[in-house]
Amino acid sequence: MKVAKEVKEKKEVWEREELLTGCQAVSHAVRLADVDVIAAYPIRPYTEVMDMLSRLIADGELDAEYLIADSEHSQFEIVKHASSVGARAFGGSSGTGWMYGMEALVVTATDRLPTLFLVGNRALDDPGAFGVEHNDAMSVRDFGWLLSWSTTAQEALEHVLIMYRVAEDKRVLMPAALAMDGAFLTHSQHIVKLPTQEAVKKFLPPYDLGGRRLHPDNPVSIAPQVNEDWVIELRRQNWEAARRAKGVIEEAYQEFNAVFGPRYENPWFTEFETDDADVVLIGLGTVAMPARTAVRRLRQQGEKVGYVNLRWFRPFPSQELRDCLGRFKAVGIIDRDFAHGSPDSGGILCHDIRSCLYPLEKRPHVFNIITGLGGRDVSIEECIKMYNIGLDAAAGKVKDELVTWIGLRE
Amino acid sequence: MVQTKVDFEKIKNVRETPLEEFYTSGHRTCQGCESALVMRDFAKAAGSRTIATGATGCMYVANTSYQTTPWIIPWMHTQLGAGGASAVGMAAGLRALMRKGKIPKEKINVINFSGDLGGGDMGLSGISGALQTDLDLLIILYDNESAANTDIQATGLTTYGAQTTFTPPGSKKRIMHRRWKKNVAAMLAVGHPTCRYVATASATFPALDFLNKTRKALAIGGPTFIHTFDPCPKGWDYHPGYSRELGELGIKSGIFPLYEIVDGKISYTYDPRKRGRIPVREYLEKQGRFAHFIDEDFDYIQKRVDEMWDEWELPGVAPFKSGLELVESAK
Amino acid sequence: MIKRLEINYRGIFQKNLGKYIGSDIVLIASSEGKVAFSNGRYSDAPERNGIPCKYFAFVSPDLSEEELEAECGAKMDIDEADVSVVLDDSMSKGVEPWGWHGIRPINEKVREKGCMLVVSERKHAELVKFFAKKPYDYRLATLKGAASLAGLWVFKDDLTRERVLGAIAAVDPGIISIEAVEKYLLKKTGDQKRAKAAREAYDATLRNIERVTPKDGIDWPHKIPVLPKWHEFQEGGVVVPAVKRGFKMGPRGQNRNEMFKRGTSKTERPVVRFDLCIKCTLCWLDCPDECFDPTDDGLYDIHYEFCTGCHKCAQVCPVPECIVMVDEMKFDNEKSPWEMHAKDPKAYVKWAEDKKGKERVFYPQVTGTGREIREGETVPAKVAK
Repeated sequence: MKVAKEVKEKKEVWEREELLTGCQAVSHAVRLADVDVIAAYPIRPYTEVMDMLSRLIADGELDAEYLIADSEHSQFEIVKHASSVGARAFGGSSGTGWMYGMEALVVTATDRLPTLFLVGNRALDDPGAFGVEHNDAMSVRDFGWLLSWSTTAQEALEHVLIMYRVAEDKRVLMPAALAMDGAFLTHSQHIVKLPTQEAVKKFLPPYDLGGRRLHPDNPVSIAPQVNEDWVIELRRQNWEAARRAKGVIEEAYQEFNAVFGPRYENPWFTEFETDDADVVLIGLGTVAMPARTAVRRLRQQGEKVGYVNLRWFRPFPSQELRDCLGRFKAVGIIDRDFAHGSPDSGGILCHDIRSCLYPLEKRPHVFNIITGLGGRDVSIEECIKMYNIGLDAAAGKVKDELVTWIGLRE
Repeated sequence: MVQTKVDFEKIKNVRETPLEEFYTSGHRTCQGCESALVMRDFAKAAGSRTIATGATGCMYVANTSYQTTPWIIPWMHTQLGAGGASAVGMAAGLRALMRKGKIPKEKINVINFSGDLGGGDMGLSGISGALQTDLDLLIILYDNESAANTDIQATGLTTYGAQTTFTPPGSKKRIMHRRWKKNVAAMLAVGHPTCRYVATASATFPALDFLNKTRKALAIGGPTFIHTFDPCPKGWDYHPGYSRELGELGIKSGIFPLYEIVDGKISYTYDPRKRGRIPVREYLEKQGRFAHFIDEDFDYIQKRVDEMWDEWELPGVAPFKSGLELVESAK
Repeated sequence: MIKRLEINYRGIFQKNLGKYIGSDIVLIASSEGKVAFSNGRYSDAPERNGIPCKYFAFVSPDLSEEELEAECGAKMDIDEADVSVVLDDSMSKGVEPWGWHGIRPINEKVREKGCMLVVSERKHAELVKFFAKKPYDYRLATLKGAASLAGLWVFKDDLTRERVLGAIAAVDPGIISIEAVEKYLLKKTGDQKRAKAAREAYDATLRNIERVTPKDGIDWPHKIPVLPKWHEFQEGGVVVPAVKRGFKMGPRGQNRNEMFKRGTSKTERPVVRFDLCIKCTLCWLDCPDECFDPTDDGLYDIHYEFCTGCHKCAQVCPVPECIVMVDEMKFDNEKSPWEMHAKDPKAYVKWAEDKKGKERVFYPQVTGTGREIREGETVPAKVAK
């Protein structure tokens, strides 16, 4: 499988190129999505998306209400309630700030409001630390959120549009979190192609909450108190929505490709050199870059290795991953997160993947790498080390422990 | 001192009160619940072009229980501490949509109601943020002096010494609740100079006062705040029929000051300095939550209430004592 | 063998009483070597003034605690009751504790040969006429007395608690025996009069138990709502349509929440002398349950199905004898009083005065400090010529 190629066709959908950080790319996407309400609150490393948005508003490039909230909890609630009246709304946070507003994040999902948040992945306090770690975004995985990781600024820009499209679909109506590695994507600058407003309008329909919009013309009571007579039925409704989201995601990418050119072959993940691979690593976010470079070097030495860059975490592409990973002898799951005391002490991604592979009759050997926490670099050499664990396993030399920590001082 | 004239449709006498309800029968509030009357009144005063959010609390759980609703106007639940943020989100959303031509332009009242905790403790941060904006919204703090929905616990707005499940009078400690009630309305007025309207009110005394204060707040423009005084038969332990009487006694004793601040100018709805103050005992002894009080306790409260009206520079409003003089520049 | 007991009580006013009786049963049964536990119903929380609530106690002479809990615990409601205690007889008219529940008969859970035990001053026939017909025999006993209403903080120690224990021992000694009750009360309080009160109630109740047959009672007139399946109601954040906007003058002119009427919260209902009304609007203005419907002649009708019996209108009305609270058990329908008055004002006054009777019950400010009964004023009819 090849990496998604930049296609030269469909020149007319692109307006210009600009040098942007990951955050700034998202700001432009928010502008192009004609977002109506933005609530801001400062926390590294996502803040810059809000800086840029305020500049776009001040310079008249975006017409939106921009509220500076008193806390993340208020910030997320402002976004949620703006969405409830039919305004397309945007917010964001990182690390401990994201956790501060957790109550609001849960209810936004159970209220089925399609808001979008940028999560600039950051290590959780205490102690304070700014570097990348995925626990923040992952904390909403159970509640009924759409959650995807972007690896490049271009991908992030495009996924703002795709995620609004999916979230606002009447069959879905779930909030969405777009995660990007703190510092390594939020702050690194890339040349990004900005689409035209017309192209975006073609792809992304206006936000229409229909009969749930809070407006005097639509008298409803939203989220009345319920008790044992209703909760399990509501959960089932939301569970179904998360299942339906998969089909809507496939549709959305097809529509996206139709407007912008065939940019995404596979919505769920991208495969690199996996065609004849024995061993693959799979991970989220910018760790793909040293991993893919490691693949190239190992291939030069004749090793059959590949990399799967997972994009969507929720809804989790269970069948697609079963079909993909089932082909290999060994699969190494890279967790840039922690799950202390979990089954076999594995990371969060490890548990999800191991669990989805369980039904396979012939399962690959699975091993877990915990690495890169709190912004620790992950080097190409370290990725090679990870592959070697897999290659050994494929050759019959299996480690006892599920988890290997790589990159810490020990 | 003349107050800013606010152009609004004032209800001049009880017979002119609009008859239609926008919050109607069929809610699980206690018999005699004054907070329910506050809901009824603000909805009635605001009318049909209104959207409201209710923070978690009695007025959430008791009203929309078990998936039914007494609301005729559109209403949405919001989190306990999210009252202010919900009002901001709604108002900003509507303003953006109207400005960008996505929905028709019209005046839509945006109202949030929060209880003790949502309005005076947890939710203060969000309300403060809301009162700094330039959005048209009204936040109502319905104060029944307890966390009532969780079966009566003390909050920052509970009267000194009151019995609640967190502050029971015991054999070693008679008074467990030693905190003095927070002065929320005035605190918000002092802290937000661009907020044009802050008031206190009660649903029943004087008649129509709260209805008109709601209308004024909605008409004046910008963020506004009303703190209502809601006798609670369950938490205060008195026979529900006496809710109105207790509200009146609380106000006449000076324990709950009734006033309006419009563009920084205070006007007293009930001025105990002119109309007299009854002893606090007459109000407190009628409630079971003070059944453990002895003279010492009544005296303490009386002393503090006397201070509020006799010694505060802004009587009943702000605890700055008289005698503040500008210091002359150093000689 | 399991004995199941439910205590129907008025929310908040009898909350402590219900809990004490339930707890006492557990302790007394334990002292007899039985296994027992009790619990309130979580879903009734938060409890509100007047709303019908339940407390439960379960006793077994032979099961282990775990087995008893497995059968009876962790449930929102009781399966069936050997004894169904009713601490306020006005609940005999039916109970609607929450929305989408419908108004249910008070004897819904009493099992065959089980017993309803009602604290009441009324005769059995006056209670049974409100019960739903059941397809089997059961029993009814009354414990003579007015409902003991208190509050959260001040408990009314009027021996109702002790008497109910004695009465339970009379109707079903398998739950607790009177000897054990007396012993428990004496040991716990050292107060002979409490044990005596229990014994006297026991003796009186024994003479008072009557059989109720499938012929007794009424065909239940209230619909029980059917809860929709998960895919049958609107998705998305739990949305229900608001009550439709609608108002016109006259009885039932205001649209109300038909899914949860709450009229079963009342122990008493207001009876209005329309002829004395000065049309001050205060009853309508101050009603927290929006029960009054303004009429074209300037009066205010009451929609009794929604009235919760809070007494505010009676207290607020400036005219003596114009609004008086009357025992709910005296009424067997929710007809519009104003319509009765409009049809025949003189007959209506007679009806109203007949319902009101001569006694007026006064409740002191603080609940739980007893009630006072006084003689009512006689105010002749002021019927328009």
